Amino acid sequence: MTVSTVGPAAATTPAAKQAAGPRQAWRRLRHQPLTLAAILTVALIVVIAVFAPVLAPYAPDDTDFSNVLSGPTAAHPLGTDDLGHDVLSQLIFAARTALLVAGGSVLVAMLIGVPFGLILGYKGGWYDRLGSRVMDLADAFPGIMIGFVVIAILGRGVWILIFAIGLIFSMNFGRMVRAITLAERKKLYVESAHVSGLRNRQIIFGQVLPNLAGPLAVQAAVFLGNAIKVEAALSFLALGLPDDQPSWGGMLRTAAEHQVDHPLMALPPGIAIVVTVLAFNLLGDGINDALSGARSTRKARKASRKAARLAASTLAEVEQARLDAEAREQVPSTRDDAPVPVASSVATREALVTTAAHPEPVLSVRGVSIVADRPDGEVVPLVSDVSLTVGRGEVLGLLGESGSGKSMLAKSILGLLPPGVRVDSGSVTLAGDELVGRDERGMRAIRGKKLGVVFQNPQANLSPVHTVGHQLVDPLRVHHGMSKAAARDRAAELLDMVGVKDAAGRLSQYPYQFSGGMAQRVAIAIALAGEPDVLILDEATSALDVTTQSQVLDLVLDLRESLGMAVVNITHDLGVAAESCDRVAILYHGELLEVNDVFSLFENPHHPYTAALLAAHPTADREVDRLPTLADFVTADGEWIVR
Amino acid sequence: MGKLVLYRLGFALPQLLVVSVIVFSLTYLVPGSPAAAILGISATPESIAQVEAQLGLDRPAPERFVEWFGGLLHGDLGTAYRSGLPVTDMLAQRLPATLSMIFGGLLVAIVVGVGVGVITGTRPGTTTDRVLTGGTVFGIAIPEFWLGMILTTVFAAWLGWLPIVGWVPFSENPLLWARGLILPSLTLGLTGGAIIARQTRAAMVKSLASPYTDTLAAAGVPRWKILYRYGVKNAMVPVLAATGVTFAIMIGVSFVIEKVFSFPGLGSLMLTSVIGQDFPLVQGVVLLTATLVIAVNLLIDIGYGLINPQARPA
Amino acid sequence: MDREVNPGMSPDRTDSRPLLDVRDLDVAYEVSGSSWRRTTTTVVKGVSFHIDAGETYGLVGESGSGKSTTGRAILRLAEVAGGTIEFDGTDLATLGERTPLSYRRDVQAVYQDPAGSLNPRHHVGRAVTDALKRHGTGDRAERQDRAREAFAQVGLTDAHLSRFPSEMSGGQLQRVAIARALVLEPRLVICDEAVSALDLSTQSQIINLLMDLQQASGVSYLFITHDLGVVRHMAHRLGVLRKGELIEQGDTSAVFADPQHEYTRSLLAASPSSHPEGREQRRADRLARRRGAAQASEGAGGTAASASPTAPAAAASSPARPATADMRQAGPTRPMVARPEGRA
Repeated sequence: MTVSTVGPAAATTPAAKQAAGPRQAWRRLRHQPLTLAAILTVALIVVIAVFAPVLAPYAPDDTDFSNVLSGPTAAHPLGTDDLGHDVLSQLIFAARTALLVAGGSVLVAMLIGVPFGLILGYKGGWYDRLGSRVMDLADAFPGIMIGFVVIAILGRGVWILIFAIGLIFSMNFGRMVRAITLAERKKLYVESAHVSGLRNRQIIFGQVLPNLAGPLAVQAAVFLGNAIKVEAALSFLALGLPDDQPSWGGMLRTAAEHQVDHPLMALPPGIAIVVTVLAFNLLGDGINDALSGARSTRKARKASRKAARLAASTLAEVEQARLDAEAREQVPSTRDDAPVPVASSVATREALVTTAAHPEPVLSVRGVSIVADRPDGEVVPLVSDVSLTVGRGEVLGLLGESGSGKSMLAKSILGLLPPGVRVDSGSVTLAGDELVGRDERGMRAIRGKKLGVVFQNPQANLSPVHTVGHQLVDPLRVHHGMSKAAARDRAAELLDMVGVKDAAGRLSQYPYQFSGGMAQRVAIAIALAGEPDVLILDEATSALDVTTQSQVLDLVLDLRESLGMAVVNITHDLGVAAESCDRVAILYHGELLEVNDVFSLFENPHHPYTAALLAAHPTADREVDRLPTLADFVTADGEWIVR
Repeated sequence: MGKLVLYRLGFALPQLLVVSVIVFSLTYLVPGSPAAAILGISATPESIAQVEAQLGLDRPAPERFVEWFGGLLHGDLGTAYRSGLPVTDMLAQRLPATLSMIFGGLLVAIVVGVGVGVITGTRPGTTTDRVLTGGTVFGIAIPEFWLGMILTTVFAAWLGWLPIVGWVPFSENPLLWARGLILPSLTLGLTGGAIIARQTRAAMVKSLASPYTDTLAAAGVPRWKILYRYGVKNAMVPVLAATGVTFAIMIGVSFVIEKVFSFPGLGSLMLTSVIGQDFPLVQGVVLLTATLVIAVNLLIDIGYGLINPQARPA
Repeated sequence: MDREVNPGMSPDRTDSRPLLDVRDLDVAYEVSGSSWRRTTTTVVKGVSFHIDAGETYGLVGESGSGKSTTGRAILRLAEVAGGTIEFDGTDLATLGERTPLSYRRDVQAVYQDPAGSLNPRHHVGRAVTDALKRHGTGDRAERQDRAREAFAQVGLTDAHLSRFPSEMSGGQLQRVAIARALVLEPRLVICDEAVSALDLSTQSQIINLLMDLQQASGVSYLFITHDLGVVRHMAHRLGVLRKGELIEQGDTSAVFADPQHEYTRSLLAASPSSHPEGREQRRADRLARRRGAAQASEGAGGTAASASPTAPAAAASSPARPATADMRQAGPTRPMVARPEGRA
């Protein structure tokens, strides 16, 4: 019996773009060789079962007492059992039994479990509370035990067997259906349907049920396999089918009795079971993967492996599936409402980049281009020829909307690009050391010690099962080789420095005990542990409330002054740039449009996009009649209007 | 911590109560009377009534339940219909073999399962991963009793490394006890381990895909530490869940494979009681099994609380 | 210049009665620890405000302030624990368990997540036609026509009708959501962070669209947001929520010109501004405010409300800043307007 690894996750995977309508799922399925083999095998077994009387050389009850327990002969390719039955024929007819019992019991399980789960999930409240208790209770009884009890009460027989096995799996279906229904019920579009006035019944049948179809199919496939195993076990124990009906389990029972002298008798039925169950399991897995789009084709795997070898990242290899998707999303969308103008159609870039590079840059990015290697071989540019510098004690803002490539730029500096994404050209130097092309060990010497990073989502960025102190002590010990005690003291100092009150006490607390702003301060402390020269903030305040955001920004500015760090502040928020940055660089679809000191940029933007952005931004300190939009700055042909 | 234990116990005990009610009421689901089943062909209405009175089957249900439950609390589970022996004694006699088998099986399952799961979870997509995961797919498909048969044939009959009939009570000879346990443990453990391995792998991949790995990497924490220290601990909760489920499944499977290894455990007891419709015995085994499962789940819930601070009661 | 309210095409109504009248609203959530013990937390406490026809009321607050919950209570998606909500004179509590269809026509919603609010398996046109069908609009052909009209109104084409959500951008999907909300000709639309998840360049388009539609049809908006800039632009009147309580409300321009409550002031001070001018001063002000708050609460024996970084004074100038900044007035440049409701 398997614990199903299919759960609500299959139905609620993120990225609606990835998830399947049946069309996409079917397409994916066709490219999964293992699943196709499984489908073929299942089909073969079904055919054998259906045409058993035709295919089997002997009838199931044909006995040949002169030829008992023989090995393979011409007349009996797989030998005979202790009553002279032909093993091969028995095997074939048993396939029938297996499929019938399995199919019947899965049907019973669904008939009981699906409505049960639906009611619990949709109605909630007391129905759910009570029903969940019932399901929990069912857990206390091992599956086969339930089968034993039912047979004890009702006796032997095919229908009883089907009912018993069905009962065993019914709560599994119930649980799954309940979980998916609960998840769907909470979804925004179900709520929207309510607001539009759609009736409950409509919502269940129109919205929720279709989302159940896929996982149900997966679960059913897997449980067909399990049911066969259970039936075999019960028949093995002589509790299942009556003796005159051939079954693989029964054949194994006979084989067990003659195990000493005829050990090979166990092979045919055993192999039959393994092959059948395997086929069903692989089928279930295959449907699951097709639905969630998790499996990559062989070509995709090859392409991404090649890219991974070239890329400087290593941890990324672990994040293959997730970041693959992320990289695809970073590809500039061409479905925007406004026509997408080419950034460099206005004047030459030199004219736009007005401020001279900082005289002593700590971090220097020169002509960096980042590309993504798509599974179909296409190379997509994410960032094109970007050059920036950041000086000691300076805050450089990297401003861009989603898809502008700003995050990729940050990751490239850190060497944490996802697989399939790599730096195509250019160089990044940090205090004189070249970063592009370094291997993992080389990057580790830099990360934390020269470069610190704070990412966007405070809670998600800390390990939930380790204390905050633990997560501070680790980098401290790595970079400074301190003893545990010394590191703990220093960790408390760091927490104090970032404004966490009662620092020493809070070291032993867990991330969930910190509010968003506090957790982000902890993340800053971790970033500062190695005393880096450059701190990169990757949308570090975007998920915070406005008041918390200003606190954290003020903190960063204070730290900049006291520690003399260079800071790169990546954001999509103009206001954040205005409040906290000394110089601002504008990124748009992977290209650097303009770099200037913040006052000049806001006062006198050079590039039309910058002007458009500034004009379109409603802020709390001024009022406009009508907000201009990007379209106001672009001609019908997609050319920027220079004002 | 103590709070956590008490809290979980508070859940487990009512569960046990409800389970016992259910178990008790099983007898009422049977069509016909066990008395008739015992007497067989020679049953007459009078003899049936006589046997029923003898067995106390003619008294009202609530009275019988109270009596039964009372007996339960004293460790008295009644008397088996057929053998006339006290159920508790019969269970106690068979329990050690089953427990030993499950203990061994769980050990193998956890070691193999978590090991394979962590290895494959930390290097998904590699050849090692594909080979090992393929192995787990096989492991789930193999009927355990068949595996047992093959293992005995190979290792006991052909190679003679291990005995065919393996059970030796611990009290008699610990070493032989352990030796006899090898094959059953492997049988139980390899299939149970496959389940745990798959769950562990999924949990590892998910945990390593979380953003905190980026933060730690960016802070300079070495990769192995991130994988094995942070990744594993974060993956432990689903793994614990998988272990709990596997334990329940293993009890059932152990009943089936007893026959293969000629182990005098609860399984054969269950078998005879099912065939003979010997309800006190059926109830006894079911109750005992359910208690074991609930107890293990209790331990696992406590384990959750230890690992995941948010699972602790406020 | 105060924006004019367009009462729109509403039929004969008593002008004095507001469209939506919320009085002393309490909304509580059950937070279940275990299934046996359920604790409730009151998320909205004693909130009172009203919205007139054709007006936009901004409900401002940070996360956890209860603003979304208020919107849900009005949509009858969350239970009212205390107080009343009156829509067009009718107390919602009298409507019974099942929300009448007329209410589901008069009150609509546009959410923060445009893709999430549409069924991924249906093409987007269906969102509109399903709503029309439920409300008994003519036959299929007529519904299709109305859907086309609605799409055109929000700036989408006929071709968009048959696309799936996964094939459209965030801005386009939000237009679909707006079309769906407005095709039923509602009187009130609850916009719950309707532009917060959109790119800056798309945001301005959607804001303009919403305002144009209001101008044309006289629909009222309850505009829930955390973004002060957006609310300043869109709302005629606004209310500030903090931890479930409405601590200040009034005409938008008045509140921005002269915020009465300390929290409103700190919110304004913390809001990123449109221009770096005067930022040193703002930073110094924030620091002073935090120090003041810390001293006050420390003096009272409690722990500091906000952590103040232990760093040198914020007034130090940053190295890369050019010397040419003129200190222009950073505040609002319009005269203060006396507020009709004098409540803080």
